[in-house]
Amino acid sequence: MDEIKREIEETRQAFEAAIGKVNDLRTLQEVRNAFLSRQRGRVTALVARLKTLAPEQRPEVGRQVNDLKTHIQETVVRLQQQLSVPVKRLEAIDLTLPGEKVYRGSPHPIHLFQEEIETIFLRMGFAVAEGPEIETDYYNFTALNFPPHHPARDDWDTLYITEEVLLRTHTSPVQIRVMEKKKPPIRIIIPGKVYRKEAPDPTHLPMFYQVEGLVVDLGITFAHLKGTLEYFLKALFHEKIKIRFRPSFFPFTEPSAEVDIGCTVCGGGKEECRVCGGAGWIEILGAGMVDPQVLKNVNIDPEKYSGFAFGLGVDRTAMFAYQIPDMRVFYENDLRFIRQFALK
Amino acid sequence: MKISLDWIKDYIDLDLPVPRLIEVLDSIGLLTEGWEEVDGDVVLDIETYANRPDTLGHLGVARELAAALGTRLKEPAWPLTEINESTSDLVDVQIWDEDLCPRYSGIVVKGIPVRPSPEWLSRRIRAMGLKPINNVVDVTNYVLFSTAHPIHAFDLARVEGKKIIIRRANKKEVLRSLEGDDIELSPEMLVIADEKKPIALAGVIGGENSAVSEETRDVFIESACFDPVSVRKTRKAAGIETDASYRFERGADMDFPPKAAVMAASLLSQMGGGVSRGVVDVYPNPRKTRTVMLRRHRVDALLGVQVEEPFIEKTLRDLGFQVDVQQKGIWKVRIPHFRVDIEREADMVEEIARFYGYENIPAHIPPLRTLEKAAAPSREKISKIRETLFQHGMDEVVNLSFMDPERAEVLSGDLIPVPIRNPISSKAALMRTTLIGGLLENILWNRNRGADGVHIFEIGKIFFAKEDAFREQLMLGVAMTGRVGDVHWRDRGRSADFFKLKGACEAVMRRLRYEPLAYQEASHPRFREGVVLSLHFKGERIGVLGLLKQELLKAFDLDEDVWAAELNLDLLFAKQAKAFEVEPVPKYPSVIRDVSFIADRSVPYQDIREAVERLRLPHLERFYLYDRFSGASIPRDKVSLSFRFVFRHQGRTLQAAEVDRMQEKIVSALRTRFQFHLREGGEIDK
Repeated sequence: MDEIKREIEETRQAFEAAIGKVNDLRTLQEVRNAFLSRQRGRVTALVARLKTLAPEQRPEVGRQVNDLKTHIQETVVRLQQQLSVPVKRLEAIDLTLPGEKVYRGSPHPIHLFQEEIETIFLRMGFAVAEGPEIETDYYNFTALNFPPHHPARDDWDTLYITEEVLLRTHTSPVQIRVMEKKKPPIRIIIPGKVYRKEAPDPTHLPMFYQVEGLVVDLGITFAHLKGTLEYFLKALFHEKIKIRFRPSFFPFTEPSAEVDIGCTVCGGGKEECRVCGGAGWIEILGAGMVDPQVLKNVNIDPEKYSGFAFGLGVDRTAMFAYQIPDMRVFYENDLRFIRQFALK
Repeated sequence: MKISLDWIKDYIDLDLPVPRLIEVLDSIGLLTEGWEEVDGDVVLDIETYANRPDTLGHLGVARELAAALGTRLKEPAWPLTEINESTSDLVDVQIWDEDLCPRYSGIVVKGIPVRPSPEWLSRRIRAMGLKPINNVVDVTNYVLFSTAHPIHAFDLARVEGKKIIIRRANKKEVLRSLEGDDIELSPEMLVIADEKKPIALAGVIGGENSAVSEETRDVFIESACFDPVSVRKTRKAAGIETDASYRFERGADMDFPPKAAVMAASLLSQMGGGVSRGVVDVYPNPRKTRTVMLRRHRVDALLGVQVEEPFIEKTLRDLGFQVDVQQKGIWKVRIPHFRVDIEREADMVEEIARFYGYENIPAHIPPLRTLEKAAAPSREKISKIRETLFQHGMDEVVNLSFMDPERAEVLSGDLIPVPIRNPISSKAALMRTTLIGGLLENILWNRNRGADGVHIFEIGKIFFAKEDAFREQLMLGVAMTGRVGDVHWRDRGRSADFFKLKGACEAVMRRLRYEPLAYQEASHPRFREGVVLSLHFKGERIGVLGLLKQELLKAFDLDEDVWAAELNLDLLFAKQAKAFEVEPVPKYPSVIRDVSFIADRSVPYQDIREAVERLRLPHLERFYLYDRFSGASIPRDKVSLSFRFVFRHQGRTLQAAEVDRMQEKIVSALRTRFQFHLREGGEIDK
């Protein structure tokens, strides 16, 4: 009995050795025949030998032979299937060759940044309003409570078309145009180009972008102005940014404020910092409660309604956000600069 | 405004470290822009505002600081050494124009030895960034920087007739200023004159003819108030801005002239002068003190925080306001004349907020009571245009809105440019009438810096004059030259040409669902004849596209082809776009037939297209040109055109025989109309 068991084991080893060398259907057939052929197969011979065993030994040895036969049959079928699939000859591919590139244009950085700003205000329920770039003195100054011949006008160096017609120096005239047409509640932002009589230098240009904001409703307070702008600045820069409101003056707001953020370049107060110049603060926004005279000018009762307004220079803020030292690069339109913003 | 800490200590006791002092000043709105140490003193450079002339002197800044720190404002005494002559006997002051000069005060100092100032005074003048001149001039500057009230000293001996007349200038009068410039005067200007001639431009600058010199013995000190608008107009017309005019045009303290005169006289008498008795003070219509009512509930309503009543009262009193309780929660506040900015309740709310501290006001989000349309539909359309052009490999640019008049002729076309009266430079003296100028500059800039190709677009306004009005119009400008993107081993990329441009324009129109669009042959001042089409939608010309004229390119130093398009977006956006609808996915298969024709070169594609469309074959889903070539196998004046026709029935599978009939209709129509021939082997059923 031990002898036949040894033979079974030898047969199994012989099969494994033979099958390992199979690489096509022909050699597979040879191996199959060597073990399973009805006349000469080694397993067939083992089955025939079972009859010679004592009856009490037959079941155990018979099961072992049968297991081996099943194993060989299954292996052959599996290999037969694998080898029957025609092998397509692959051309050698150099997978290290570069992938395809689709050339995509870039948005202009100022427009991109303006969109980021708009998105934040749209989240807060603001609508977007627009207005003309060629304005009248009335909308640009008088209706905004700049008396004629007041030195406050000197802070807005103006490009004039005629005595009464000018290039808007800020987006604020659109406040007036909106309030003339619509009664509160008003909650808008006004993005757009503005113009100043400024010779180009790293921090001044005769044209730049502003985003103006205006909220007029019942019970609007300075606290709402602070809440809105703090939310905006944290969303635009980051949650931990330092924010400072300090008193200022604009003819069309009272009280007025300027809003500074902590210099993120030097972390504040480094004298040689080229961004904040050591002050530790960067002026970002002008703001305030809408002056009662401005509300009167558009027939909104300042005893009933109140509001706040704010404005920021998009270019200036973008310079700070992207660490760009010279504002003029925005309008040189050097594609080596602009194309970087495809990845922003 | 420069503020010396030594100097300000004349008015308040101060022992704060400089950084802390700067913080306090910042918090009340006096922003320190910088500071430096000068001669052991610290001089701050403080930003001041157009509505706060009172902060243009040390006294005013000290008053603010005293209110912020809760300390008392000191009032220095100004003792005089008097002589036994009264001022009114020495000079005769007459105001001839009370509107432009509401108050004029003066005093005489006799026997003053004119010489360099004592060291303490010179130091202070230097701290203000000025050069000390002599004791008399330095004293006038000292009073100005102390109190923000400008004064002037005349050499009394040179005042003819001992008359001081405040009047409008006569035509053709000329005044030589202290600086030696001749100012041509006009009746809009107010002057100080003696019996015969102007001796100063009121509130702006003194005249050379009455200036204090080393020979001067007696001086007349002028301390007046002039109308702010008149001073502003005068100094603008004269082209001179002085420390005096800067303050007068912001508004002077109507109560202050006699005090400033006494202060100057006191200082000069300490230097050896004798002061005449009694200030001459011509003040025909004394100004009443303004009173404003302040309601407690308005303070809270505007600031969004409850401010304690005692704090409100104390703050206003510290700032020099007289505060009387009218009834509970309402105050009657008298405004001192030095606060020219305070006229209304809101102005006082700002004062309370400044000293309460903006940082102590809470931050809340305003409640949202209504929701409205977030933006004009045009903004969404602009985003879609930009997105589409980015996909077409075009970069976005933004150019300044100006145009060089030298290029206007070649650029401007039919539009009349809008000129700027005071441009920043002669090259930016017009508003642009087209986006093309900026785009060409961008191409040149980038080509000069090694770019192979430049494919760019801009969305922005152009400006023009029409029927006495100034118009602005939103435009899309596209310009392309050369090839963009790196050459890739799989793809040679595409260079700019007409069809790349046309494809981009069509993609934009399709994206906005402005279809169908049509083209016409056109001529346009900026485009080369025969290489330009106009684009039409709903019967209106929306824009042009083509090759730019050579003379235009030459004006921008470009000698390569530039393909460009200009579309009027205002016109386009006013049109109704096709509604967006989803069609069911077809259930039945299509039948595709590819047909190649030999056609005359002269037949325009658009005509072929229209001829097929005119057949109105109900089951022709679409067709398109997929190949076009000419070569040895094709006669010279002919071209091979291969079209793919896609047929489909919505309700069943088409039979080959039906498709054959439709195809035959197309072929015979084109044969008849254009004498097309089928190309051999061109008929392939798939």
